[in-house]
Amino acid sequence: MTVTVKTFTSSSEAAAALSSDRNARYLGGGTLVMRALNEGDISISTVVRANDHALTRIDPSGPRITLGAGVTFARILGERDLAFLHAPARSIGGPAVRNMGTVGGNLFAPNPYGDFTVALLALDATVALQGGFGSRDIPIEEFLQSRERQAGALVLSVSCTRPTNADAFRYRKIARIKPKGGSVITLAAHLPISGGRIAGARIALGSMAPTQIRARAAERALEGRALDAATVAAAASAAAEGTSPSDNALGSAWYRREIVGVHLRRLLLGQE
Amino acid sequence: MLELRKDIFADERDDNLNEIGKGTQRQDMLGHVTGTSSYFNDHKLQGMLHLKVVRSTHSHARIRRIDTADAERSSGVRRIIRGSDVPRNLNTLLSLINFGKDDEPSLAVDKVRYKGEPILAIVADSERKAFEAIAKVRIDYEPLPTVFDVEDALKAGAPVVNETYPKNAFIYHDVYDHQKLRFGDADAALATADHVLEQRYQMSPIEHAPTETNGSIAAPDTNGRYVVYTSTQALFFSVDTCAKILDVPSNTFHFIGGTVGGGFGGKVDTLTEPLCILGAMLTGRPVRYVFGREEEMQYGPPRGAERIYIKDGVMRDGRVVARKVRAYFDSGAYTRLSSYAAVKCAAHLPGPYTIPNVYGDVYCVFTNRTPATAMRGFGVTAMDFAIECQMDKLANLVGMDPMEFRILNAYRDGDMKAHRREAKNTALIECVQVAAEKAKWPIRDEFKRASSRKDGRGSRAAVPRTPTDTRGGTTAPTQQRTTYDRQPTTALREPPREPPPPPPQPPRPAAPSHGAGRFSSVFGTRRR
Repeated sequence: MTVTVKTFTSSSEAAAALSSDRNARYLGGGTLVMRALNEGDISISTVVRANDHALTRIDPSGPRITLGAGVTFARILGERDLAFLHAPARSIGGPAVRNMGTVGGNLFAPNPYGDFTVALLALDATVALQGGFGSRDIPIEEFLQSRERQAGALVLSVSCTRPTNADAFRYRKIARIKPKGGSVITLAAHLPISGGRIAGARIALGSMAPTQIRARAAERALEGRALDAATVAAAASAAAEGTSPSDNALGSAWYRREIVGVHLRRLLLGQE
Repeated sequence: MLELRKDIFADERDDNLNEIGKGTQRQDMLGHVTGTSSYFNDHKLQGMLHLKVVRSTHSHARIRRIDTADAERSSGVRRIIRGSDVPRNLNTLLSLINFGKDDEPSLAVDKVRYKGEPILAIVADSERKAFEAIAKVRIDYEPLPTVFDVEDALKAGAPVVNETYPKNAFIYHDVYDHQKLRFGDADAALATADHVLEQRYQMSPIEHAPTETNGSIAAPDTNGRYVVYTSTQALFFSVDTCAKILDVPSNTFHFIGGTVGGGFGGKVDTLTEPLCILGAMLTGRPVRYVFGREEEMQYGPPRGAERIYIKDGVMRDGRVVARKVRAYFDSGAYTRLSSYAAVKCAAHLPGPYTIPNVYGDVYCVFTNRTPATAMRGFGVTAMDFAIECQMDKLANLVGMDPMEFRILNAYRDGDMKAHRREAKNTALIECVQVAAEKAKWPIRDEFKRASSRKDGRGSRAAVPRTPTDTRGGTTAPTQQRTTYDRQPTTALREPPREPPPPPPQPPRPAAPSHGAGRFSSVFGTRRR
């Protein structure tokens, strides 16, 4: 069977094409789908594309910003209003990948990729999905838990919290090859401070489970406390709780469990 | 910025060279920077078919049954090639220079010896159709015990990886399971040394990671010949390898190469050409066989891993008096070029230093890992890493500056090297001096005054008394080169001529004569 490419001008038509064909895959920037095709993935027989301008829209105003699923990392890096997302965007691939790779595609990137999604998870994102039966917004956690079953739906956009100040959001990708290696662990923390105490802590980890996950035990250790050495130590020692990392060429599951607390401590204390 | 230090060895060199020291435009540069260079994969031939191989999913397994019935019926499949279709389905690369035994099939027959070993080749109308057919091939494996560690592989009772070498070690001169170097009495010197330092070094395989993956396109040509566009970095080597495997005269092929999208040693193994040409022979159509990126990374041959043990004896004054080395080269499941790497390594010991007692055992070992191959200075690079780490540790042990420690122990012109060749054109001292100067690393005047041309020869030119080591062999070879000059297989061939015996000590001119001898990296005629 040859591969068919279908291009639509509206995202709803693309979504319909996607949901009606089990072997269809949506092509955003192509950094995942084209690689799979080149490597002989015969599960893909239809490639669906959409050149709907809505997919590349950025709405940076307001307390929650919205990014079209087709927004590339290079574009995010060009937006001064999105400075808080520059570190995660810059940590993805090299310039060629950032020129093509999209926010929507990153949601589907398996380990050791999907770093931008770690940032979105910490920033309490919601994912706007267009399925066969209309569109809906779902929390990013729910989306990630059911990611395997979402292949028939088209992601339209992602919205997330804008941190109130630069210090409230921290991001770090641990890689062996810099600047463009795969992730050993990726960490993102959103720590809104209210009256000297953390209120609504969200910590997200990449490469610590089959999908990006929240470090809930570490979040509990931080919640309602001041960000001092004792609190950070408690969060760091709880970092591995609930994680289920696996072995790959970049690091073993054991290694990841051992170092996740170390890197979380450094992230929270602002250490290199 | 390039800086030529013409003040060093100025009296030994003519400055009338045409290329050395002059800025010369690379002949292929314009094509590369303008994106017009033509690579093998830029040829799209009419009616071209595509070849992909079915690879083993096991590291070591007997093949019970290969069922291709569904794959044969898969849409667009033109031909499925099995091991029995390959005219000479056993080869070793260096058989072209009579070195080593044929040990590697183009397509595995009874058994697979590493994960990713090719078993079948499928020729189809498109890569996609080949992939679809691959998914329909059923192979029944009987997994066998595996061995991935070089020292485990040499132990008694280890799984036999490659039946050509039942003890999992390459056999040199039909007798020896390792390369042995003995110079002086290392054990005696270690016993009397002020300090002894023994360390273990473990290297990992290294992937060449070329931009262009391995591949070739073969097409039937007139007069029964085949034109082959190829990424090979060793074109004539590949021609002869294909001629042997396909059992045809080498003039059957017109190889077109020359523009290699990154080789570094990873494109000498001629992995795609034989099957690609065979596909063209069997279908009468042009056939293209290109590695995917994952194939290149996972199953393309890497630089081999090496495990190295070094035991050094050093005196308080900084002289290294003994170096004892044991090295295990992980060849993977087949020989490729690691056998030769071990020879190079043995000749290189103990590094660019004059050490009066040297002992080396270098093994080329078979394991169930991806076969290793050439890569930039293979056989020497990893050993040098270990030796230089060792030199730093020794300098620290005796409280000496590491730069001065190297100058003190550096080999000098006229010294005897451990493999019994006179050291010539040595320039380590000058290199260290310039490196120290550039790094603004202070070294004392006596070390600044040291020279490769001074203080060598004399007692340092002698071969020390060396106890005979009987371990590892039964019959002593009459001459080192017997394997290379093996008896011809047919009486028609002219028997190899004995090389003329070298003169005991070539006469040395009183003063260096300008332009008398050109530099040669092999024979080193710089300062005769």
